[in-house]
Amino acid sequence: MSEVTCTMQESEIRTKLRNWIVKHTKAASKTAFTDETHILEEGILSSLDIVEFVLFIESLRGEDVDTDDIEPQVFTSINTLYAAFFTQVT
Amino acid sequence: MPQERRSLRTGFLRSAEQHPERPALQLDATVLSYRALRERAAALAQTLSAHAPAGEPQLTAVFAHRSITAYAGVLAGLLRGHGYVPLNPGFPTDRTRGMLVRSECRSVIVDAHGARQLDEVLAGVGTPLLLLLPEHDDVSELAALWPQHRFLGARDLVDAGTWVAGPVDVNAIAYLLFTSGSTGQPKGVMVAHRNAVPYIDAMVERYAVTEHDRFSQTFDLTFDLSVHDMFVAWERGACLCAPTSGQKMFPGKYITDCGITMWFSVPSTAVLMNRLKMLKPGKYPQLRFSLFCGEALPIEIVQKWADAAPQSVVENLYGPTELTIACTLYRWNAQTSPAQSEYGVVPIGEPYPGMKLLVADEQQNEVAVGEAGELLMTGPQLTLGYYNDPQRTAAAFVTPPGRSEVYYRTGDRVRRPAAGEPLVYLGRVDNQIKIQGYRVELGEVEAILRQEAGVDVAIAVGWPVTASGADGIVGFLGAEHADAAAIRERVIARLPPYMHPSELRLVSEFPLNANGKVDRKALLALLARQTEAVE
Repeated sequence: MSEVTCTMQESEIRTKLRNWIVKHTKAASKTAFTDETHILEEGILSSLDIVEFVLFIESLRGEDVDTDDIEPQVFTSINTLYAAFFTQVT
Repeated sequence: MPQERRSLRTGFLRSAEQHPERPALQLDATVLSYRALRERAAALAQTLSAHAPAGEPQLTAVFAHRSITAYAGVLAGLLRGHGYVPLNPGFPTDRTRGMLVRSECRSVIVDAHGARQLDEVLAGVGTPLLLLLPEHDDVSELAALWPQHRFLGARDLVDAGTWVAGPVDVNAIAYLLFTSGSTGQPKGVMVAHRNAVPYIDAMVERYAVTEHDRFSQTFDLTFDLSVHDMFVAWERGACLCAPTSGQKMFPGKYITDCGITMWFSVPSTAVLMNRLKMLKPGKYPQLRFSLFCGEALPIEIVQKWADAAPQSVVENLYGPTELTIACTLYRWNAQTSPAQSEYGVVPIGEPYPGMKLLVADEQQNEVAVGEAGELLMTGPQLTLGYYNDPQRTAAAFVTPPGRSEVYYRTGDRVRRPAAGEPLVYLGRVDNQIKIQGYRVELGEVEAILRQEAGVDVAIAVGWPVTASGADGIVGFLGAEHADAAAIRERVIARLPPYMHPSELRLVSEFPLNANGKVDRKALLALLARQTEAVE
């Protein structure tokens, strides 16, 4: 798993994160979702989605996410997510 | 102050006098003292009252979500001597408009969340309204768009210094709360001050609440358990810690960062925390009490929670809005509780002080101890019924044969296994269905599904639906990857043939209703849509 992660490009990870959110969001305007959209705004993802999303991030990273240490601000956007979970991997 | 004169706001006002500089409300990095919150609420109340529409009902709507305006708005309604009507910017606007119109409210307090939806909500409202948007400097654009309504903004706020407490009728509505009705039309439950005050008294005493406590606030204002958060905290000068949308997604960090001592949520929140590995042993030593309410509480989750919060007493609360927040409770005991639980669900225990219960058959006659029946209750928390709906009120608030008091029919099936044993919850009356003529308790099927699949949540529904009940059962398991065929085989081995699920479906997530509970109707609708698609 971790080898896959290491070879994954930044753009590929960003695309996977974005696609996951667009697929799961109940928000009306899916097309308006960008790398800057605030993910924890009401209506973008439910609390159930967040559980699945964290598991998805773990699968992309190939390593667990320590939920005790997550600052909610990390979920501000794709940009902050990438910086928090993927910049140390490669 | 004598007991009969107290209303829902009394405790807050007393705390504001005794502890003016202590924190009353924390919202993200903002902390409001009791003095500041009281001043804000009084300013909103005074401003509305100065422009009050003639002949308005004694109700003020609050269209807001987790903002200072939301909490100050609730208090402002009460300071006016009104009941408050919470409206939720997270709900579909049609639903919000329906609640607003049926409440007959003429005064509405709106925060920034509510303001974004105001155009949609106001479309089709004929009655002239008074709308106060204290977070808006300029309301001239709205005023031009909606000439029939009057808008007030931040610049219109009057000085609160002149506010004095007027009389409150303890029999009047303290809050009007719309709950989902089986017909799809929400019903407005009228909760009087004299219903809420005994509840709050029972809670502050049982939990020995002090001004040093810090309360969670996981419930939306449209969910009546939020009344507990606000008014049990404020009764004793404690601080209410409202989570941001981010904190709500990561409850573990919210508990730690806010120093929560009094936790209250639906069991589903604990289930999510468990999946996110937030229930590690010893993680939350500062929690004094952990309360769960709103749906069945699985014992495995309580055991995990109790390990994570080793200093905390864990209690299971039960109660419909019609009986004021909660009306029975049960204290978890790691040694004795597992044996007292049925279907793997924690008992709901005993009535609140002064409340009386009746476990009855379909004719409302008491059943023998050990037998299952519908739970009926009466006492000081029995509410006034449904707003402008005498027909539905009469159907649910009944005088059973041989009794003199009015009881509320909860629609919930319960059983007292033996004298002295705690009451156990069996499910909704309508969760007991007839399958090919056999009476089936869906909760029993769900318990076995949970055990055999090793999942926290399993739902069984009767499907396909027939005139007399259902032809069979479809089970839904909260697991993305599992061997459904193998689980079904183990389940079948433990159940009589008429209770066998014809099919098990794996779902990565369950649809939730507006209050965060699993939405059974949505699961049935899913099955119906798929059947149509095939035919």
